[in-house]
Amino acid sequence: MQIALRINGSAHTVDVPRDATLLSVLRDDLGLTGTRYGCGIGRCGACFVIGDGRALASCLLGVEQASRMELTTIEGLADNGGLTPVQEAFVAEDAMQCGYCTSGMVISATTLLERTPHPTEAEVRESLATNLCRCGVYGRAIRAVLRAADR
Amino acid sequence: MTDLLESRIAIAADGSVTAFSGKFEFGQGIRTGFAQIVADELDVALEHVRVVMGDTDLSPRDWGTYGSQSTRQEAPILRRAAAFGRAQLLARAAKRLGIATGELDTKDGHVVSGATRIPYGELVADTPLAGPIPDEVAFLPDGRRRYIGRPLPRVEARDIVTGRATYAADVRIEGMLHGAIVRPPVRGAKVKSVDDAAARAMPGVVAVVRDGDVVGVVAERAEQARAAADAVDVDWLAGRPDEGPDADIPLHEDRGIDEALAGAATRRTAEYVLPSIANAPIGPGAAVADVTAEGATIYGATHRPFGLREGVAKRLGLPEEKVHFAPRMSSGTYGRSSSIDVALEAAVLSKGAKRPVNLQWTREEEFAYSPSRPEVTLEVSGGLDANGDIVAWSFDEHTANVHTAGWFDPDPERAGGTQGRNAIPPYRIPHLNVVLHMEPTPLRTANFRSLAAAENVFAIESFIDELAHVAGQDPVAFRLRHLDDARLRATIEAVAERSGWGRKPIPGRGLGVACTIYHDTPVAEVADVEVSDEGVVRVVAVWAVVDPGFVINPEGVRNQVEGGIQQSASWTMFEELRHHDGRVVPTNWDAYPIATFRDAPEKIDVLVAGDSSRPSTGVGEPGAVPTAAAIANAVFGACGARVRELPLRPERVRAAMRAT
Repeated sequence: MQIALRINGSAHTVDVPRDATLLSVLRDDLGLTGTRYGCGIGRCGACFVIGDGRALASCLLGVEQASRMELTTIEGLADNGGLTPVQEAFVAEDAMQCGYCTSGMVISATTLLERTPHPTEAEVRESLATNLCRCGVYGRAIRAVLRAADR
Repeated sequence: MTDLLESRIAIAADGSVTAFSGKFEFGQGIRTGFAQIVADELDVALEHVRVVMGDTDLSPRDWGTYGSQSTRQEAPILRRAAAFGRAQLLARAAKRLGIATGELDTKDGHVVSGATRIPYGELVADTPLAGPIPDEVAFLPDGRRRYIGRPLPRVEARDIVTGRATYAADVRIEGMLHGAIVRPPVRGAKVKSVDDAAARAMPGVVAVVRDGDVVGVVAERAEQARAAADAVDVDWLAGRPDEGPDADIPLHEDRGIDEALAGAATRRTAEYVLPSIANAPIGPGAAVADVTAEGATIYGATHRPFGLREGVAKRLGLPEEKVHFAPRMSSGTYGRSSSIDVALEAAVLSKGAKRPVNLQWTREEEFAYSPSRPEVTLEVSGGLDANGDIVAWSFDEHTANVHTAGWFDPDPERAGGTQGRNAIPPYRIPHLNVVLHMEPTPLRTANFRSLAAAENVFAIESFIDELAHVAGQDPVAFRLRHLDDARLRATIEAVAERSGWGRKPIPGRGLGVACTIYHDTPVAEVADVEVSDEGVVRVVAVWAVVDPGFVINPEGVRNQVEGGIQQSASWTMFEELRHHDGRVVPTNWDAYPIATFRDAPEKIDVLVAGDSSRPSTGVGEPGAVPTAAAIANAVFGACGARVRELPLRPERVRAAMRAT
């Protein structure tokens, strides 16, 4: 079926099976591979995108439902090859190792700071609790989010 | 074999530098470290250096990225290569200008002499840098280095935070399809027959492939391939998986051990148990294969690029030189991608479908079919003399072979470096007997961050703590009393100081110490934990001091050691991979919880105290090794409960509390 999506400020039309997830459409139809597959059950955060201002698991989001939202992916956060304050802070704090979970963390942190510009450390932990990291950069990621909030 | 400069460094006409290594970047930061070294010794800006790693067409052959050895093995070669390259550039410029090299210097990618500046690119335009790299080369004077020793973010950082970084699953090539594998009920099953009629009729299906015991579907979309794979009806012949060797290997023999233990003034015996755990990278295994009659290209991530090439070539019946492994970012490994399983399956599917195939394992497949760390049991007996000194130590390690690496060797020295790693304690012990017992397991096993060192050190460092308490001595003092290694002593003393060891304890809180020397890297840690009356343990803080010799990137070292501690704390607190008859029980994160942001300690304080007179060592694993014992010892410090089995679940801690 034909589906119209609004992603990163642009309109896209894709022809995909009705039961396709937003994740598969982003990755396989639109080439937006910065959104990662991790678990398929919304438990790891690797596939997070921003939908109407909230961090959502694109692996659980049907493409039809997604078509009613204004979507932003990791590729659409910054303009013209620049970095957002959250992205800059993740670089500055070296808050990554393999980097596979980073897209999702940056998405979660971005929505958190839009909601709560000056979060406490406890609020950062709570709102990133669904972003799993195996390499163990939690401490650095917390510092990165607090650093971005200070800007 | 002498390394050749042309196999290590190339300078393009525009002056950009490419360095080559056969090692693989998994997030441990070696690409950044290598770039720092090359940039400094060639005297060019870091942003002009690109490091190609693990590309079988471009990189020098390498046996594998294991055991925190990359920096130790590669840093000296790359440094000499870059310095030799700079010497050649100076010589070429001297010849061109008709002056002595002594009158020349380099500056930021140029050879300079007064107002004359010759860009490196000009000096290599006709003849690329080449020649055997000498053992002795003059390095740039210390004061001239711009990058080595400085804390720098990863060179991949911008690509990672913008989503541009390309992992195996992100490869998109013309005509690419998606694959999915039909899984047997148990590992080792053989295909008897395949009924693919239903699957072939499903939407998007391009091919159903059967090749040996690999059965899979190739389809236009990944979800179509998965659905069709689930519809393929395979009659499996239950096979028995190879369960590995059964052998007892003496790692350190003392024929007088029984008498020494019997004659000790005080004796203690304990058994420590660690469950199987899953490597569990956040990105499940993935590979893209493009197999044609002429050859094959495999895109992926692996500890063994050249081993992968060999394995794929063999499976496809191609000569090795017709197979190209093209590296992409790794979605986490910790040993998991020692196995070339995903690449082999992708290659078979691509060959069968005659199209490029992207194979992304599901999370369920990753838990159920990828290799995992085997369970380990450690039996320890120790004896003290009347002065409270250790006189005898008997250590029996029971573990299983690591299938993925396939490198089991019963030679005691080799086994001591693999499955018996760090089984020999660093302490001065007159009678020491250490035996490695290799036992079969139906679990598919992987090397997992430090191989068995983390398990052995959990037992050793818990037991030395027990002996300290039996002897009525402070655990830090007791360790120091039995240690000769000056560097390890220094890390223990430093971590004791930083953590405030010996300070008045807060009720319900406790400190625990542990240490090790992992592949020439001494590391000591102190954990501060809180234990509730219900046995719930919270890791409040961990301090670590590490001595990785000459430090190339202190921030990179801190990051690795912090990550090792965080990951190891997760194993220690939460993780157990249950399995029955070779079948893994948990299939996703809901059934296999790992530490989250909520569980991260308030502080992980890492002091990088590298002895700069010593060669650089690796830090990918050492930080993870002592953490479990530091935490368990801190639980003892908090409530007197000695927990000898991991993970530290509340019911287990409560039982130990009742036993005190």
